[in-house]
Amino acid sequence: MKTLRGILSGEALSWAGAVAAILAVFLVLMLMVGAPIIEALQGFFSGAFGGRRYAYLMTTLSRTTLIAGMAISVMLSFRAGLFNIGGEGQLVVGGLVAALVGVLLPGPPLFVLTASILAAMVAGGLWALLAGVLQLYVGVPLLVGSLLLNYPARYLASYMVAHPYRDVQSGMIQSHLVPMETWLPYFPGTRLDIGILFVGVAAAFAIVYSYTTVHGYHSRLNGLSPDFARAVGLPVKKLTLQTLAMSGAIAGLVGAVAVFGIHHRYIDGMLVQPLYAWTGIIAVLLVNMVPWAVPLSGFFFAAVQTGAAGMERAASVPKEIAFIMQAVIILFVASRVSGALTASSTRRETDNV
Amino acid sequence: MFELIFDPSFAESIPRFVTPILLAALGGALCERAGVFNIGLEGFILTGAFFAVLGSYYTGSPWIGALTAILAGIMLGLVFAEFNLRRGGNPIVVSIAINILAAGLTTYLLRAIFDVIGAFTDPNIVPFRPIHIPLVESIPFLGRVLSGQPVLFYIAVAAVPAIHYFLARHRLGLRIRAAGENPAALVAGGVSPRIVQLWSLIGCGALCGLAGAQLSIANVSLFVENMSAGRGWIAVVAVLLTRGRPWPLFLIAIIFGAVDSLSFRVQGLGLAQQFTDMMPYVATLLVLVALSWWRKRQTI
Amino acid sequence: MRVDLSGITVRFGPVTAVDDVSLGIEPGEIHAVLGENGAGKSTLMNALFGLVRPESGTISVDGKERQWTSPQDAIGAGLGMVHQHFMLQDSMSVLENIVLCSEPANSLGFISFAEARRHLDERAQGHGIALPLDRQVGALSVGEKQVVEILKLLYRDARVLILDEPTSVLTPQEKDRLFAVLRSFRAEGRAIVLITHKLDEVMEIADHVSVMRGGRLISSEPLSATSKDRIAREIIGGELPPTRERKKRPLGDVVLSAENLEIAGRGFTVGPLSFSVRAGEIVGIAGVSGNGQADLVEALVGLKRPLAGTVSLLDQRIEQQDIEARRHIGMSYIPEDRQRTGLALGATASENANAGRDDRAAFARGPFLNRGAMADFARALIDRFRIRVAGPSAAADTMSGGNKQKLVVGRELARNTPLVIAENPTWGVDIGAIDFIYGELMRMRDEGHAVLLISTELDEILALSDRILVMYEGRIAGEVSGEEADRDQIGSLMTSRAADALAEVA
Repeated sequence: MKTLRGILSGEALSWAGAVAAILAVFLVLMLMVGAPIIEALQGFFSGAFGGRRYAYLMTTLSRTTLIAGMAISVMLSFRAGLFNIGGEGQLVVGGLVAALVGVLLPGPPLFVLTASILAAMVAGGLWALLAGVLQLYVGVPLLVGSLLLNYPARYLASYMVAHPYRDVQSGMIQSHLVPMETWLPYFPGTRLDIGILFVGVAAAFAIVYSYTTVHGYHSRLNGLSPDFARAVGLPVKKLTLQTLAMSGAIAGLVGAVAVFGIHHRYIDGMLVQPLYAWTGIIAVLLVNMVPWAVPLSGFFFAAVQTGAAGMERAASVPKEIAFIMQAVIILFVASRVSGALTASSTRRETDNV
Repeated sequence: MFELIFDPSFAESIPRFVTPILLAALGGALCERAGVFNIGLEGFILTGAFFAVLGSYYTGSPWIGALTAILAGIMLGLVFAEFNLRRGGNPIVVSIAINILAAGLTTYLLRAIFDVIGAFTDPNIVPFRPIHIPLVESIPFLGRVLSGQPVLFYIAVAAVPAIHYFLARHRLGLRIRAAGENPAALVAGGVSPRIVQLWSLIGCGALCGLAGAQLSIANVSLFVENMSAGRGWIAVVAVLLTRGRPWPLFLIAIIFGAVDSLSFRVQGLGLAQQFTDMMPYVATLLVLVALSWWRKRQTI
Repeated sequence: MRVDLSGITVRFGPVTAVDDVSLGIEPGEIHAVLGENGAGKSTLMNALFGLVRPESGTISVDGKERQWTSPQDAIGAGLGMVHQHFMLQDSMSVLENIVLCSEPANSLGFISFAEARRHLDERAQGHGIALPLDRQVGALSVGEKQVVEILKLLYRDARVLILDEPTSVLTPQEKDRLFAVLRSFRAEGRAIVLITHKLDEVMEIADHVSVMRGGRLISSEPLSATSKDRIAREIIGGELPPTRERKKRPLGDVVLSAENLEIAGRGFTVGPLSFSVRAGEIVGIAGVSGNGQADLVEALVGLKRPLAGTVSLLDQRIEQQDIEARRHIGMSYIPEDRQRTGLALGATASENANAGRDDRAAFARGPFLNRGAMADFARALIDRFRIRVAGPSAAADTMSGGNKQKLVVGRELARNTPLVIAENPTWGVDIGAIDFIYGELMRMRDEGHAVLLISTELDEILALSDRILVMYEGRIAGEVSGEEADRDQIGSLMTSRAADALAEVA
């Protein structure tokens, strides 16, 4: 197969070109701040994977929990052809509700924890459904509606922890701590909480759902060609709403895990500023929505972020370099694999030779 | 509330809020009409805002600041073109990447160049001064709206008929419309739609750069992390709502700008800041809902 | 101007679309290029016009070898092409469409429409073509749009005009007018290349005939040197399939009926329409595309809610039901656009074959897919409908047009529903697939299913229908029984305004 080999070597070449270009951007940024390259790189790898007793690796895993969680949430929507870019709002609403229920609900710790997580999932799901309802019954495109709903969520949460439910004594804009007994325990001997297990379960669910269920199959057909899904009589509206609800529920779960595992309260901006939702989106795009690869992709981007923090410690490179690298990576990679992303947005072609 | 709306100082502030949305939306309109689905206006504006400060700080001239912003916007437009038009990346993905890139790059450069975190302000940043128009100024009420604004406001308003005329009567304008509607016809006529779309992205970058300049060196004279604060998304909505037609876009920009301005004003009323911050987005959603309902009624 | 193609070869990946073709186009001559879908006619012309770059071979104009880097070069050399899918901007005026890409502009790039008007008047004079130049193209009929395309060529003073299947969108009367215009071009010494698969038209107008099959040139000779039978055999490479015998069968009950159905169409309201389809008959809906057929189909299938009126399927009112419910009651639908609506190209053949099945238990266990059962079903479909595909797990976009269509037809007919709605079911597929699909539709009829066939191909309507309804401007202009139908009668029912735009030419 001469042609196959030709294609493969062409592919390899263009991948090599992309990697070279990404490295070049990286180098330019480093030179700009006059950072010592070797120290910076060492700082990057130890920041992402090293540390005393792998403390930094644990930080990376902790961050993976949130990024991979959001990526899984987004993946379910994207595979169904639903451009839900409102993950941030769903995440924030989930985190807020988890914190408030955790603070306000009396009862045994396990009950409070369970109720909080479920409430967060419901809240995230409803927030996503709102965008779906706006699209299906009002005619506001999902892309725009879901995005715009991010801002009310963000400010509503900010208001809640700034005024009615603020921990005034702390002097910060944040809620009270949830009871210590409800905090997610650490894995023995580490500073990594078991939240990653929740996301692991969500990932397993998403993978099984995508590959083996009728619902997942129908959603994917809708994602590949909405016109087709409609014409063969798939229940498109129901699929849309159910998929969005699942997506939002997982985002809400991630918010709850951030509260009970990491911050133990809701702090204004804690889920927005680190761009978890947006990083989740690009993590999905990096692997072209292939379900089993999504958690790995989330780990990769978490490592880029914690590695950048390590670089800042070791060589004073501003850690925001992580976002630049993320953007550059996704620009190069997404343009290589974006063919399958939206059948709906590509123009009609003919199959006549 | 009513005194507030009819307060001349409220009316006077509207143009400052209209200008960035209008400029960015006109840029977005060029893309929309050319069939480039550029929803990364947020990143374009943010980049423009940063480079306007950079240019003004080093030269002491707001004009050079604006020019720097334009060039930065054009560069970003070229990045968009490279990855969307030439490499065939999905425009939504490229837009999201552009937004993240702009957020990262501006904060990175803020630390790399000015060595500050969060915000940069300095007396060396020279902003645009208000322009007082002699006769107009003396018109009651309206005079204070139409006169005494920074020059970019006048440029933005003049750009509306200019772009309208350009799309209707200019060779490139005609081709931009064709690229958005049936690009195959351009191919058949021997014109590359991609080149046409590249021009629209360059125009979009320049206009968004100016929008950023309005934010950082006309409304204020400083740069704050993420200072575009969602205005790019509102501009995107305005473009989608009007399908990129300049005059309706002007109207929508005025509405959104007025809400933006109002939300700024009512902070003095004891309403929590979070609710006033929320207003532009909720208002945008409500406008979308109202228009969709209205369109539905039209078709039935 | 004389154009010679020599040794042209075009490949798309592993497919050789045009294989070493040489032919000459003489001024003052109408040169017909004939062949089935997929024979390579359009690709050859795209190469001549600079849209496709040939792998080898040369194009020479008046004896001088030329290389096109884009259609601009070909246009500059005096070539012009009317594509099968019109290259028009619906939102623009006729004049804007005509000047697009050749705008008369001042040094700042602003267009002088007055100059354009003058220029066009000069060129179009004497051919009897007239259109209001300020009308929006979207408001024109299909025939009028074709006139715009021809005006574009005149505006650029094309000496060689290539027309790709120009008559497929025209009524017989419009076709006559078009041919008159082409003859007047010929009289002026222009060369005309007519790409077509309709033999009768070639016999009527052509001076020179070239036949292509499987990418090769089979023959190229003056019309006078060949015969209709010979050309027909050259096109298909063998004998024509025998014409089908239509079995007389008693009509069954009404399966589908529409009463006073009104639908929001593009630019006008479609309807009110009333008609019915009975078990055991094929009802054909003829008409030039754009006369409301697409809206009617959407309303019947459930893609669009009607404005008024009722639709009943097996005595149940369905006009407010969604597609899923309608299919469940007993409807199958073969859509016109297999690329977007008929198939999900990114999915496998099996996933496509199993979509939309009602018998969920047959391919699922609880919430989970039964992949084995799905593959078995797909394999059965592939065997029964003789679909050429690597296997159930091959991606749908690896299949050829004809096989994609067979997959769509197979999936829908296998549902065995009382009603089948088929919308241009053989658009763009090869003659073997056409014959097979016709056979399957006839079999459904003979087995007592009701078939509603919507087609813009008059030949298809005539070959299959027991009754023919003709749509014009959103209404049913008339009904003809299949046995008595003749071309001219249906043609006059299909008549549209475009006939006036192409005024009679001496």
